Amino acid sequence: MTDLTPITALGASAPADQHFGPLRISENADMALASLALRRTADMPAPMGLELPAPGKWSQGQGVAAFWTGPDQWMIEAETRAAEDFAAELASHAPGCSITEQTDAWTVFEIASDRGDAPIRALMEKLVNIDTGSFGPGSATRTGLHHLSVFLVRRAEDRLAVMTMRSMARDLWHVLQETARRLKGEPA
Amino acid sequence: MLIPHPLLGLRDAQEFTYLGDARLIDRPDGMAEGAEAAFAEYVYLRDNPAGVHRELWFHEQGDRSWLIVTRDTVTHEILGAELARNVALAANGGEA
Amino acid sequence: MTRLSGGLIDRSRSLNFTFDGRKLAGHPGDTLASALLANDVRLMGRSFKYHRPRGLIAAGSEEPNALVELRGGARQEPNTRATVAELFDGLDARSQNRIGSLRFDLLGVNDLLSPFFAAGFYYKTFMWPKAFWEKLYEPAIRRAAGLGSLSMQADPDPYDKGFLHCDLLVIGGGAAGLAAAQAAARSGARVILADEDFRLGGRLLAETHLLDDAPAAGWVSGVEEELASLPNLRIMRRTTVFGAFDHGIYGAVERVADHLPEPGDKPRQTLWRITAKRAILAAGAVERHIPFANNDRPGIMLAGAMRAFANRWAVSPAARVAIFTNNDDGHRTAIDLAAKGVDIAGVIDSRDNVTTMGSYPIFAGGVVSDAKGRLGLTKIEVTQNGRSQWIECGALGVSGGWNPNLHLASHHRGRPVWDEALQSFVPAKDGPPGLIVAGAANGQGSTAAALRSGAEAAVQALGELGITGALPDLPQAEDVVSKPHALWHVPGKGRAWVDFQNDVTVKDIKLAHQENMRPVEHLKRWTTLGMATDQGKTANVTALAIMSELTGKPIPETGTTIFRPPYSGVSLSVLGGGNTAGHFRPRRLTPTHHWAEAQGAVFVEVGPWMRAQYFPRPGETHWRQTVDREVLATREGVGICDVTTLGKVDVQGADAGEFLNRLYCNGMKTLKTGMVRYGLMLREDGIAWDDGTCARLAEDHYVVTTTTAQAGPVYRHMEFARQCLWPEMDVQLISTTDAWAQVSVAGPNARRLLERIVDEGVDISNEAFPFMACKGLTICGGLRARLFRISFSGELAYEVAVPTRYGNALMQRLIEIGADLGATPYGTEALGALRIEKGHAAGNELNGQTSPQMLGMGRMVSTKKDSIGAVMSRREGLAADTRRLVGLQPVDSAQPVLAGMHLFTDSAAQNTETDQGWITSACYSPHVGSAIGLGFLARGDERMGEVITGANPLDQQQVALRVVSPHFVDPDGGRLRD
Repeated sequence: MTDLTPITALGASAPADQHFGPLRISENADMALASLALRRTADMPAPMGLELPAPGKWSQGQGVAAFWTGPDQWMIEAETRAAEDFAAELASHAPGCSITEQTDAWTVFEIASDRGDAPIRALMEKLVNIDTGSFGPGSATRTGLHHLSVFLVRRAEDRLAVMTMRSMARDLWHVLQETARRLKGEPA
Repeated sequence: MLIPHPLLGLRDAQEFTYLGDARLIDRPDGMAEGAEAAFAEYVYLRDNPAGVHRELWFHEQGDRSWLIVTRDTVTHEILGAELARNVALAANGGEA
Repeated sequence: MTRLSGGLIDRSRSLNFTFDGRKLAGHPGDTLASALLANDVRLMGRSFKYHRPRGLIAAGSEEPNALVELRGGARQEPNTRATVAELFDGLDARSQNRIGSLRFDLLGVNDLLSPFFAAGFYYKTFMWPKAFWEKLYEPAIRRAAGLGSLSMQADPDPYDKGFLHCDLLVIGGGAAGLAAAQAAARSGARVILADEDFRLGGRLLAETHLLDDAPAAGWVSGVEEELASLPNLRIMRRTTVFGAFDHGIYGAVERVADHLPEPGDKPRQTLWRITAKRAILAAGAVERHIPFANNDRPGIMLAGAMRAFANRWAVSPAARVAIFTNNDDGHRTAIDLAAKGVDIAGVIDSRDNVTTMGSYPIFAGGVVSDAKGRLGLTKIEVTQNGRSQWIECGALGVSGGWNPNLHLASHHRGRPVWDEALQSFVPAKDGPPGLIVAGAANGQGSTAAALRSGAEAAVQALGELGITGALPDLPQAEDVVSKPHALWHVPGKGRAWVDFQNDVTVKDIKLAHQENMRPVEHLKRWTTLGMATDQGKTANVTALAIMSELTGKPIPETGTTIFRPPYSGVSLSVLGGGNTAGHFRPRRLTPTHHWAEAQGAVFVEVGPWMRAQYFPRPGETHWRQTVDREVLATREGVGICDVTTLGKVDVQGADAGEFLNRLYCNGMKTLKTGMVRYGLMLREDGIAWDDGTCARLAEDHYVVTTTTAQAGPVYRHMEFARQCLWPEMDVQLISTTDAWAQVSVAGPNARRLLERIVDEGVDISNEAFPFMACKGLTICGGLRARLFRISFSGELAYEVAVPTRYGNALMQRLIEIGADLGATPYGTEALGALRIEKGHAAGNELNGQTSPQMLGMGRMVSTKKDSIGAVMSRREGLAADTRRLVGLQPVDSAQPVLAGMHLFTDSAAQNTETDQGWITSACYSPHVGSAIGLGFLARGDERMGEVITGANPLDQQQVALRVVSPHFVDPDGGRLRD
């Protein structure tokens, strides 16, 4: 165990976590990420029992999940394993694939609504040019958000994950806060 | 504009970066005889049609695919979009 | 004037407001325009050019005259139409474009000078003497012919943007729009209904027509209630769809808080980008005027507007009014106002053989030929059968027929077509794909026809999407179509206004015709017709018709008038959508940002990144002191710098080596595993583009770096090469820039410092880990890390990478445990000085103009393989360039060296012909003890020791410079390998 103390993407010792009316936005600093890309000759793997999803989709397994990021390429998520060398473990489960550590490449904000999907959709409408009507649970995409590049994962009707490059975490947090705060002031 | 991504459906053009003439995928062989003349043409000479144009778009804020989009430059009507990789593979005689 | 009966205002509450300082009151439901009329205010503004007193013309967004300034302080907002300003308690409104009071405007003198202000007057009058334009004419004209004024302060309110998607966008919430929305929403389709008004209903709110024998407002409420209950339909009030863009994308502005004194938590306005599979344009129609002498007197307005004020807002502009019409519709105004107790002086109808439709006097075959009342209409001259008489009235409603409001239908250049029966232009069939025009916007004049065409358009649009819709049961409604008689203006001597906002009269059009400015595009520019905030909504067609009379050609041959976005004025603030100041682009923070902040570092923007520029210590009074210390500490002890910002790309796959071989001009395939090589990327035209290092971590795994500035474009280029050029290769790419915090540890003590953090058993001795080696290892008790022995400074140096979250702690640790070794953090200034001293090319040298030969890297371009740019880098034009990278040192060490200086052999003739090159980078070198520079010099490699001149003509600087090797430090590279 290293004696260096990590900090979060926002420069704090504990992840950010804040409520805005029906929305709760929390930084998920414990999730490990690794990219998986198929090599030319590789068969489709099922690492850790995961079924790798089709374009635009996210799928969930036991403690791990995956979303499609490009042709023959996925991002694998592993809950609570950010401190481990998850990429190395994934590589052992996906022979013949190119695996790259991505845990700290991205900062993940988990957004949860306690009033169903409407607040999630209202938030998305202010942030991204993605049709919320065809972005139901199990959808994932990369897109632009303000001037940031983000991944969106719709984990459930009432849950959305937004990820951006770690160096831009402060800006994403700022825009999520500002937008969620403004939505409280607007009629639904 | 909306670009009909072959894998992801209609996506707003704001997600893309534009490059230009799709003939850029036909890069000459630098080791072949007469390479300099071939490259001079490849690098500097382009058609600029008022009408149907095949062009390269990069899905930068998306799946990082290069697409070949067939677009009417007069009406902006988009007649189709393909993964550039598949087009290039087919042109090189490989499998798509 | 007291209020009339009825109306859609809430009389139980009063709203206080001021106009030009006068305290007035209105009711909820009022616009500023209706509230002013209710307070007997008819004079609302001054015209643009002649400063003529003006009142309302219209009741909606087409209003050309009543432009007012709203609010005060930083929220002051010019040029808002009083007809669309929703009244709120505390509204402060002022008239504009006047000097003095509105009633007595000093610039009213312009009106007397009108012969000088005719069409084309700018072009004719102010041409000579030329020098007078900027100093005298333009400022005077701007002051005199202005609109409202700006606050000159930043707008304090937030603006927002957003994105919506739907099957069907219905633009306009009148009869056609409501019927369309109802039909579509019941089918389950996703529908957006947008209307610029704060209340749905459109023209139905302005009429007394019955729908199923009940007032129309009741039907509107019923539909509204149904629509509000459906989850698949979104009603957007106060929302103007201002543009139809490609592929079903529509721009809309929602005025979220314009009707509130201050927005509070809300955005003031929101810019919506609506992506709609289909759209229905149901924007209604705009009535047109009939120009006659002095037809701009306050109190003369469109008859439909007069009716709207009476029916919806329960106000009349005067107790006694007259109507001038060329169609049946004008009569409705007389009937409706009479029913509310307004005295009707008469209806002047240009058609012969018409009779009264109520109990008002009729002047068949008559026209209004003049009007009196400078500050408010007092009487009109009616000419009938060659005889004229004056009739007293306080207001006149004019109806010259209706123009379909087809604006958005021509945003893709679709040209409207002339409909002879309707005497108006109707939308072309080649409008924006997916847009169907319905109701009055398509020339369907009656209420019944509008309802029907809206519902049918919805069913058609949904059908195209494969959604089955059904026509709803539509209410019974009037179905009379009023066909106007072609009367475009009343001939006469006086000035008759066509375009009120720009003060364009019939005479101006005649003059334009005489001067051969006949095509409609010339007419517009010569007279300023149709410009400014209303874009000629009430004027363009009339002007065209008058030009057609003059040329003797039919209207469609005279020209058409088309429109571009925006439909009505859109504020720059909302177009910015919150993109102000720091919101313009992301600011990327390095992993050690928080530590550097705590150290009191000074930061600098490097592309999107914020990097530590230098770390001042107490007592240091000048940045150079700090930077010199950091440079020397690195050369003498060990310096530490965050270099995370360099782009990092993971390249894997069986063909990774061959792929990089083709991307870089030098070879990468032969690189041994565990080693690093410098790489230069060229553009395909042979110019040097980007450089970095390639580290081979395994046979099929490389990590390459790019410059900070080019990280994005290089990645895009790599994907282009992978997908488009060599798709058969087995290569996978992904950016890892943000995944790893990377710090440079440079200086003679670098190894000793690193030995203190690497875990036991890791050998980083010179033998085990030589110059240009790389490997994965663990540090600080098991933390996975990567170590690269590369140097930018010329010293013994390493870059160590750890997962980003540990970067801050690693930096802190290195500084702490390296205190005895002189461990010193350095910023980008010292980084720059160190690399200039070492003669390393960077962004300044790779500026898109330099070939590998110029950089002294010509021989790096392999001829044994094909790589991007290799062929073109050898072409004649580039090969002939003799300029080479050299070092430059002032002969007098006290003299400065500046980047950008041009190089000459002597100081005699300094011009482009004698130019020998330029200085790309310069700094003060603590190592050399003087300023130094890098630059490109003709035959530079052959001129070591020669003294030349560096010139900065801007500041008359001339410096004698000695040409030296670009490697000021350790030219043999011994330190790197030590």
